[in-house]
Amino acid sequence: MALLECEGLTRRFGGLVAVSSVTMQVATGEVRAVIGPNGAGKSTLFNLINGVLPPSAGLVRFDGEQLTGLTPAQVCQRGVSRTFQLTALFPEMTVRENASLAAQARDAQRWLPFGGGAVFHRARAKADAALERLGLSHVADRPAGLLSHGDQRLLEVAMALAQEPRLLLLDEPTQGLSVEETQQAVETLKTLLAGGELAVVLVEHDMEVVFRLAHKITVLHRGAVIADGTPEEVKADPGVQAAYLGDFADAAD
Amino acid sequence: MGAWRGLILVVAVLALAPLGLPPYMMTLLTEALILGLFAMSLDLMVGYTRLVSFGHAAAYGFGAYCSGWLLINTDLSLPSAVFVAAIASGVLAIGVAWVCTRSTGVSFSMLTLAFAQLLYAITFRWTSVTGGSDGLAGIPRRPGPFGLTALTSKTGFYFFVLGLLVAAFLLCRQLVNSPFGAVLRGIRENEAKTLALGYNTRAYKIAVVALSYALGGLAGALYAPFAGFANSELLFWLLSGQVLIMVIVGGAGTLIGPILGAAFFMFAQHQLSSYTESWAIYFGMLFIFFVLFVPRGIWGSVAARLRRPAADGR
Repeated sequence: MALLECEGLTRRFGGLVAVSSVTMQVATGEVRAVIGPNGAGKSTLFNLINGVLPPSAGLVRFDGEQLTGLTPAQVCQRGVSRTFQLTALFPEMTVRENASLAAQARDAQRWLPFGGGAVFHRARAKADAALERLGLSHVADRPAGLLSHGDQRLLEVAMALAQEPRLLLLDEPTQGLSVEETQQAVETLKTLLAGGELAVVLVEHDMEVVFRLAHKITVLHRGAVIADGTPEEVKADPGVQAAYLGDFADAAD
Repeated sequence: MGAWRGLILVVAVLALAPLGLPPYMMTLLTEALILGLFAMSLDLMVGYTRLVSFGHAAAYGFGAYCSGWLLINTDLSLPSAVFVAAIASGVLAIGVAWVCTRSTGVSFSMLTLAFAQLLYAITFRWTSVTGGSDGLAGIPRRPGPFGLTALTSKTGFYFFVLGLLVAAFLLCRQLVNSPFGAVLRGIRENEAKTLALGYNTRAYKIAVVALSYALGGLAGALYAPFAGFANSELLFWLLSGQVLIMVIVGGAGTLIGPILGAAFFMFAQHQLSSYTESWAIYFGMLFIFFVLFVPRGIWGSVAARLRRPAADGR
């Protein structure tokens, strides 16, 4: 059974339909990319899944439970973590403190107003494990604001991972990276996602990144799904080719 | 360990102060400790959560009127009245915070100011309780509970204030170092991210405002029996501005700094006002100097210097 199910998900802003009747499923171990040009509704879709925006129609189910109507904090508590398109960190805290605060969010005693040695110990262990997996251990004690842009993007992912989510929403993880940094980030993410214990939804502009990471691709156009399938199927789809991939499909072949 | 030794040393010196200082200096010192408690309570909001309140006098004045009214109109002893007033301020703060945390930034600050001005206006209308423009006068330090009279003398009251300040400091210190405190730091640096990580940030903010007001109310509740009166000036925006200055000059986000800032403010006001009536002008210049050249405040700068040699030594 799919871990994440979106059914007829629709969001209108006044007269504009940003997301139009989107239905998709993501199973554990699956990496699903959502692609489409700017304004296709990708980020709105994320905001609908994690509760930042309420849908105008349709619903989101996570592990059989309806998420629609929950706050972002509540959605997160159920095991859905997300990264942001624009880097959002705690710049004056160290890298480890950033990841640790992320991990603490899913601790039952995260609000403890005194002591808390055990809470910090648990959070730190998870934080260190996540930093290790993203190759950030060597900068763990540096203030997050002083990291290179590439490492900051990876720290975003490490923070999401430190929460031990079951569903990971990645919003353009390689946004703003150089070609070389992108290569490295893709290798790191590929190793990370190979474990198969996570369901991942990936929004990405870089088609090369998409084709190297995704098992399934959903193509959005003006908020609606115009194609859904494996990378090969989507690449071969004439409509998609004409509309978005352009000469990329030729270049990849 | 060093921190504990320093704390014990400072408390020991303060505890011995009544032996060596003349009575009028003891009065100044007592008031400085009360203002220190008031400034420290604001630091929880301003320094640790970046919730800049322009209306913290609301807590102080409300606490002062509460304890003053209780001491005049009921049989409650001094400690009980002070304690009840602090709790009442905290409860009031839950309502205030519920409204104010609907907005952030400057709007939050303006709403806190509006609440303080609302209370200020009420003192002139609800004269049967507040005494109107005269305020409450002749507030006694009633002995008890259990016939305890030690706290009612001038020196006894000083120790009462000192004890409560130390207790409040220890309470705040363990709070800011707890998991709760870590979340407050997250809100300070990036509230949207903290929310996205799964923290109900508004609940944390309401909780910290409630504690901040309770401790600010405690300070006000001590001021009323200290001065023997409570009037509407304790709710006026001037005091809200002054306490903010104490926090910034002393060092926001350090707890100790605001206490020093309050003492510094008292000292500077006392010294400057003995030379000139327009002392506020000179203090204003001093404040500008601090903001420009000592942005971390007195204790913020000292602490940074103390930390550096230790780091090199390792």
